[in-house]
Formats: sequence, structure tokens, C-alpha cells
Amino acid sequence: MDFWLNLWTLTLIVGLGLFAVIAIVVAIGGAFDIRSLFRSLNAQHNRREP
Amino acid sequence: MSDHVTFSTIDWIIVFAYLAGSVVIGLLVKRYIASMTDYVVAGRALKTYLGLATMIGTEMGLVTVMYSAQKGFTGGFAAFHIAVVAAIVTLVVGLTGFIVVPLRRLEVMTIPEFYEKRFSRGVRVFGGIVLAFAGILNMGMFLKAGSWFVTGITGLESVTYLNIVMTVLLALVLFYTILGGMVSVVVTDYIQFVVLAVGIFVASAMALSTLGWDNIVNTVHELKGEAGFNPFHEEGFGAGYVVWMIFLGLVSCAIWQTAVLRACSAESVKVVKRIYIWSSVGFLIRFLVPYFWGICAFVFLYQHPDLKAVFFPETGKISSELSLQAMPVFLSIILPAGLLGLVTAAMLAAFMSTHDSYLLCWSSVLTQDVLAPILGDRMTTKARIVWTRIFIFLIGVFLLVWGLWYAMQQDLWDYMAITGAIYSTGAFAVLLAGLYWKRASTVGAYGALVCGFVALLGLKPLQTWLIIHLNLESLVAGLGFQDTVGSEWVGLFTIALAVTVMFVGSLLFPDRRKEAA
Repeated sequence: MDFWLNLWTLTLIVGLGLFAVIAIVVAIGGAFDIRSLFRSLNAQHNRREP
Repeated sequence: MSDHVTFSTIDWIIVFAYLAGSVVIGLLVKRYIASMTDYVVAGRALKTYLGLATMIGTEMGLVTVMYSAQKGFTGGFAAFHIAVVAAIVTLVVGLTGFIVVPLRRLEVMTIPEFYEKRFSRGVRVFGGIVLAFAGILNMGMFLKAGSWFVTGITGLESVTYLNIVMTVLLALVLFYTILGGMVSVVVTDYIQFVVLAVGIFVASAMALSTLGWDNIVNTVHELKGEAGFNPFHEEGFGAGYVVWMIFLGLVSCAIWQTAVLRACSAESVKVVKRIYIWSSVGFLIRFLVPYFWGICAFVFLYQHPDLKAVFFPETGKISSELSLQAMPVFLSIILPAGLLGLVTAAMLAAFMSTHDSYLLCWSSVLTQDVLAPILGDRMTTKARIVWTRIFIFLIGVFLLVWGLWYAMQQDLWDYMAITGAIYSTGAFAVLLAGLYWKRASTVGAYGALVCGFVALLGLKPLQTWLIIHLNLESLVAGLGFQDTVGSEWVGLFTIALAVTVMFVGSLLFPDRRKEAA
């Protein structure tokens, strides 16, 4: 049982740690991506209606 | 149970403010929709971070949280294997580009669209029907699971409240998805991802500080023994279940249409791979955290002086509905006012981000892959958007009716896995052969897709009915099962059957046109 307990403990710690890093990076990067998405959609819209 | 719940006015204010904000965003982004590509795949302009937020937001829905918490409650730490397997498989798909990269290169919007490019229009229409049927059936318990969460965490136990909650939640999602399509979905998914991340850390920290790690481990060991930790233990999940989970890990990231839609929406092949590599952490967390909450609920309720009798009856078995409610009841007791509202808003965020993506996904499949090919591509862009919106509404009505009527009789995760398998087993065979084997033929593809319907036998109410009416009790017992054949064995059998039929069918009935060429 010790093997499985150690494995699951490590998985939980590593998983939460990695997710914390990703959550911060995605929260900041995602805001810039939204701005870029709207610009891109506007540009596509303008190309369709010259 | 409601006597123990502490949902206060401040919690309600937080929840309502969040829901109203989501609807306003849906209205604001409507002006960016000019074509079907904008509506369904956000103009194929999704970049890495936003793609990641929307993928994790979609895949970590409230239903995922509910069925995973239930698995943690019933399976203990051994359930963690599902999360680890899902993460490893997603990482491998990201590193190799298996299935998703060739699909992105072909610039298809849906998997049935690939069926037409590779096989024939008929395969596309049939594949679209199978996909939509399985997907909508798979979604059938979403609304009910969401409502169980809301009623469990708020203490609103009456059936009337349950129905009202289901209807209001559905109406909100329908409203902004119908209006804004994929653009609205990705923007709201981003906000929901941020709220969800905060909710995950707050609730996990509170659960751990309330119970203590040693107490959690010791109680699980005392009540479940080795099977609570070792996934291969026959009293717990068993080896067959672990193999079934490996296949489902591949399905959820590379074959399930909602995940593939993200790959198809990505800006480039490079972005597809990057999204999948980083999403592997999301796929790990989306299962791991709710399992942990389910385990904490298991320990907490077992040690609770009043609720132990409700969740641990002397008969030893509790209904699927009750084990689903364990986690929300647990959270409602341990979280203080304000935090409870925040976590509920996070969970509703998760509910809406999954619902909107799934509604859009299945309705666009029905429009693009069933209706448009039948009408011979005469449909205008405007007509396609109108039909997609009509299908979104009709699916919503079905969800309401099915959620009220169907009696599950098995863990929610197993219901989801087996309904999804109606599509995924056949699709796996068709994609595998279609993308990587030149001799794959139309007849083989039809055969593999038909085989997927064998997975219906994994639904416990249907299997029980067949066993009783066809007098199959001795056969089931002869195969070594107690009352019914486990859904994992039905699923594995269906995959083997679909792959065999795909390859044998292709060898026996090659495509004449391609043979001549």
C-alpha cells in the first residue's frame, strides 16, 4: 500500500503545483489572446466587406 | 441534510452577479459573428493561452466535478489512476500529434467532415448521426448532475426547486451560446477558467485543513483497505477497468468532438501540439481535485454524527444519486459564507463552460454533417447559423426531459463513458484506419460505426432488462459476473469489435474507385 500512497501523494502535490503555475500564466496570457482574437475577427470581417 | 447547509445571502449575491456577467458578455460579443467559421470555430483564430483556458474550462465541467467526486467517494485514492492515465495519454497526443494534427492539417471542423474527405458523403451523414446521438445521450445527465450540485450545496431539497434550477441554468446557457457561438464560448470560458482556478485552490485548502491528511489516509485505509489505494485490486477497480480508462483517456482528448473542435480552432499545427502538451496538466487536475474532494467527503460524512446514518446506511449500499450529493453537502458545511458563494460560482462557471461548448458542438454536427450534406450544400451561411441555433434549443429541451425521466442505476462516470463509447469506439477505428492506413474503405467505416451501438449494452437499466427478458442469468454467471457485465468489459469488447470490423471490412470490400485509381 505504501507504494500507491506515496504515488498518489506525489501526484496530488505535483498536479496542484503545476496547475497553480498554469493558472497564473493562462490568466495573464489569455487576456492578451482575447484582445488578439477580436482584432483578428475584425480584420477578417473587414476583408469580407471591402 | 439541509439543516447542516449554511448558504447565505452574500453567497447568493456572488452567484447571481456572476451569472448576470456571463449573459452580458454573450450579448457583447455577438457583433463579431459574421460567418459559420466565426460561429463554430471562432474564425480559426484561437491562440495558445486562450485555447488552453477554453479547453480546460470545457473539459472540467461541473458534471466532471460531480462524477469524479462520486468516483473518489466510492473508489478512494485508487480513483487517482484515471487522472494519471488521462494526463499521460494527453501528453503523448501532444508530443506526437496522434490523430489531432492530421485532422487540423485537413482543416476540417468536425470529425464527420473528415469521414467525407476520406470515405464518402454517406459515411459523413451516418457518422454525424451516430456522433450527435451518442453526444446528446452522453450529455443527458449534465443538467440533473448540475442541479444536484446546486440543491446539495444550497440546501434547496424540494423537487420543485430542482426543476426550477435545471430550467434557469439551461436558459442562461442557451441564451448566450445561441447568440455568440464559439466567440462567446471562448470568452466566457476564459473568465470561467480564472474563477474555477481560484475555487479549486480555496476548496482544496479548506478540505485539507478541516480533515488533516493523516486522518483522510487512515480512514480510507480502515474502510476500504488495499482496494482504496491499489487500482488493480480486484475488490476495487481491477485491471480491466484500468485498460478501459487508457482508451477513455485517448477518447477524451483526441477523439471526442468537443476536444477535437479546439484542435480544429487552433491557429496552427504548432499551437495544436502546444495546447495538448499543456492541457495534460488540466486533464490531470480536472479529475484529481474532484476525486480528492470526494475522498474528503467520504471521510467527513463517515465521521459526522448525524450524516453518517444517511450516507453510510447499515445495508452497505447507497444510491448513485446520494453518492453524487456527498461532495456538495460536504463543501456546503466546511466552507464559510462568501467562500461558499465563490466556489458555487466557480462550479456554475464549470457547468456553463461545458454546456455551451457541448450544445454548440452537437448542434453544429447536426447542421454541418447531417443537414447540409443531405441538402447538397445548398444551405447559405445564414441558414446554417439559424439551424444550429434551432438544434441548440431542441437539444436543450431533450436534456430537460431526459434529465427528469432517466433512472441511472450506475456511477455517473460509467454512464458517461458508455454513452460516449457508442460514438468513440467506432470513431477510433475509423480515424485510426482512415488517417494511417491507405486501404481503409467505406464499407469498413460503416461497419465500425455500426459496431459502436453494441456499447449501449453497458447501460445498466438496458442490460438488466435484457438479462431478465432473454433469461441470460446463467450466461452472465458463467462469464464470472455477479448480476450484470461491467461497463468496462462491454466497452473493451466494443472497441475490439469495431477495430476488427474496420480492418476486415476494408480488406473484403475495398473502395473500387480508389482501387482503380
